[in-house]
Amino acid sequence: VSHPQDLPLREQAAQIASGGLDPQELLQATFERIEDRNPGVNAIVATFPDESRQMLAEAPRGPLYGVPVAVKDQFQIPFRAPQDGTSQPMGPAGESAIFRALRDAGAIVAAVTNMHYLGGGSTGVQSAYGPVGNPWNPMHVGGGSSGGSASAVGARMIGGSVGADGGGSIRLPAAYCGVTGIKPTFHVVPMQGNLHAYLLLDALGPFARDAADTRLLLEALASRPFPPGDASKLRVGIPAFMWDDVDPEVERACRAALDAAGWQTEDVKIEGQEFARIATVLRLALEGMPEFGYDHLATADAVTVALAKYAFLLPAVALVRADRVRSQIRRSLADLFGRVDILALPTVPAAAPAIENTNIELPSGPMPADKGNVRQTGWGNLAGVPGMNVPAGWTSAGLPIGLQLVGAWGEEARLLDAAEHIEQATSREFVEAVPPNYL
Amino acid sequence: VDALEQYIRGGLERAGLPVEDFEVEIMRYIDQVYGPELQELLQADMHGIWPEHDLDPSRAPTS
Repeated sequence: VSHPQDLPLREQAAQIASGGLDPQELLQATFERIEDRNPGVNAIVATFPDESRQMLAEAPRGPLYGVPVAVKDQFQIPFRAPQDGTSQPMGPAGESAIFRALRDAGAIVAAVTNMHYLGGGSTGVQSAYGPVGNPWNPMHVGGGSSGGSASAVGARMIGGSVGADGGGSIRLPAAYCGVTGIKPTFHVVPMQGNLHAYLLLDALGPFARDAADTRLLLEALASRPFPPGDASKLRVGIPAFMWDDVDPEVERACRAALDAAGWQTEDVKIEGQEFARIATVLRLALEGMPEFGYDHLATADAVTVALAKYAFLLPAVALVRADRVRSQIRRSLADLFGRVDILALPTVPAAAPAIENTNIELPSGPMPADKGNVRQTGWGNLAGVPGMNVPAGWTSAGLPIGLQLVGAWGEEARLLDAAEHIEQATSREFVEAVPPNYL
Repeated sequence: VDALEQYIRGGLERAGLPVEDFEVEIMRYIDQVYGPELQELLQADMHGIWPEHDLDPSRAPTS
C-alpha cells in the first residue's frame, strides 16, 4: 500500500490507534488525493483543511479516531450550509445528528460530496456543480442522488462517506460505483439536520469499500453496535418481478454471486410490487412540494421546474392509492420475512449509463435510468426496511454490477453478515478491485 | 392542442403558475414515462387494501 487512502477505513483506524499511522499525515494525504483525483469524477464539492485539522486536534479517541470521512451536501455541518446540489444554501450551517455522531466517534469530516439536484434523480447528472462521474469510467454517471459519496469512495479519495436514500439514493450509486452502501431501517440513523428529514421515505447511511467498513461506519452513525454473525445458511427470497427485464450481464453476475454464496433460495412475490414504482415516485414528488417554493427553483434547470409544475397537476387520489400500495407492500414483506431471512435482487437493472445519455438499454428496450432504477429500490423506502448494495461483478464494458440484499426491519446486522459472506464466497474479488484509472 | 396539453395549461393557470411551451413538452415526456402506470394505479381495484392507521416505517406493520 503506497497511499493511506488505499487502506480500508478500519485499517486506517487500527493503524492510527496502534501508532503506525499519523492522523495528521493521513488527513494531508487525503486532501492531496482529492486534489489529484477529484477533477476526473467531480465527486467532492468542498474540502475543509483548516476546520478538519481543528476537528482532529479536538477529536476524542473513539473507534474512528483520526479517520477522514465525507458527507453529502444535504446535511448540516458547522463548516458549510448544505446546498442540496443547488447553487445556494438551502438551510443554515450547524451540527446535524450525523455530524455529531461522526465527531463523537473521533472521525474527521474532511469534505462535502456532490449530489443530484435536490436529491431528485438517480444519475447525479443534474447538479449545480456539474455531473458526478463514475470512477470506473468518468464518461459514465456516478449515480444519485448520493452519487458524490459513492464516487469518492470508489475513487479511493476517502475510505467512507455518508449519504441519504429516499428512493434508492444510497444503493443505486453504490451499485454504479462498485462500492458497498447500506440504507438502514427508517430512523436507525437520526435525521436531525438532514434537509430531507420531512420525507417519510428517507434513511441515512454509509458508503465504504466493503461490508466490514460499512458496519464500522454504520455503528458510528447509529451510535450502537451491529454485532457480526454467521450468514452461511440463510434462506433467501428471490422477488422474480425485480429480476425481470434486467440487462443479461447484470442478471448473470447477480445470480453467480448468489450461487457462490450457496444459500437456499425460493422465488417470492411482493404483493403490490407492480405499483411500487409509481407509488414511490408519487410520494417523492409530492412530499417535497411544500418544502420548495418557486424562489428555490429560480436557478433550477428546466427539467426540475417542469417536474415541480407537473407535480401540481397530480390528482390527490393518486397519493391515497399510493399509500394503500405502501401498506400492501409492508404487510406482504412482513409475511415474507416469516419464511425467508433476506431478499436478493439486482440493485440496478443495468450498469451506469453515459453522462451524455442517461437512458439504459433493457431487454424491453431503452428506458430512462431513473425509471428502471426506482423499480428496484423504491419499495424498500415505502416499507422502511433496510437494504444494501454488494459489489457483484462488472459488465463487459468494465462497469460495476451490484447485488441488493434486503432484510426485515432492524436486520442491518444480518444484511452486513450476508454481504461479508458473499465477499468471502467470491474471494473478495469485487471489493478489492481498483478502477483501472487508478492502478 | 390535445387533452393533456389542455389539462397542463388549464391546471397551471388555475394554480396561478405560468407555463412555457418547452415545459409542456417536458411534462408530456414525463407523462409518457410515468403516465401509464399512474393510470393503472388510478384504475386498480383497491377495495380491501386498507392503509395502516398507525404507519411507522421503522417497524413492521401492526395492522
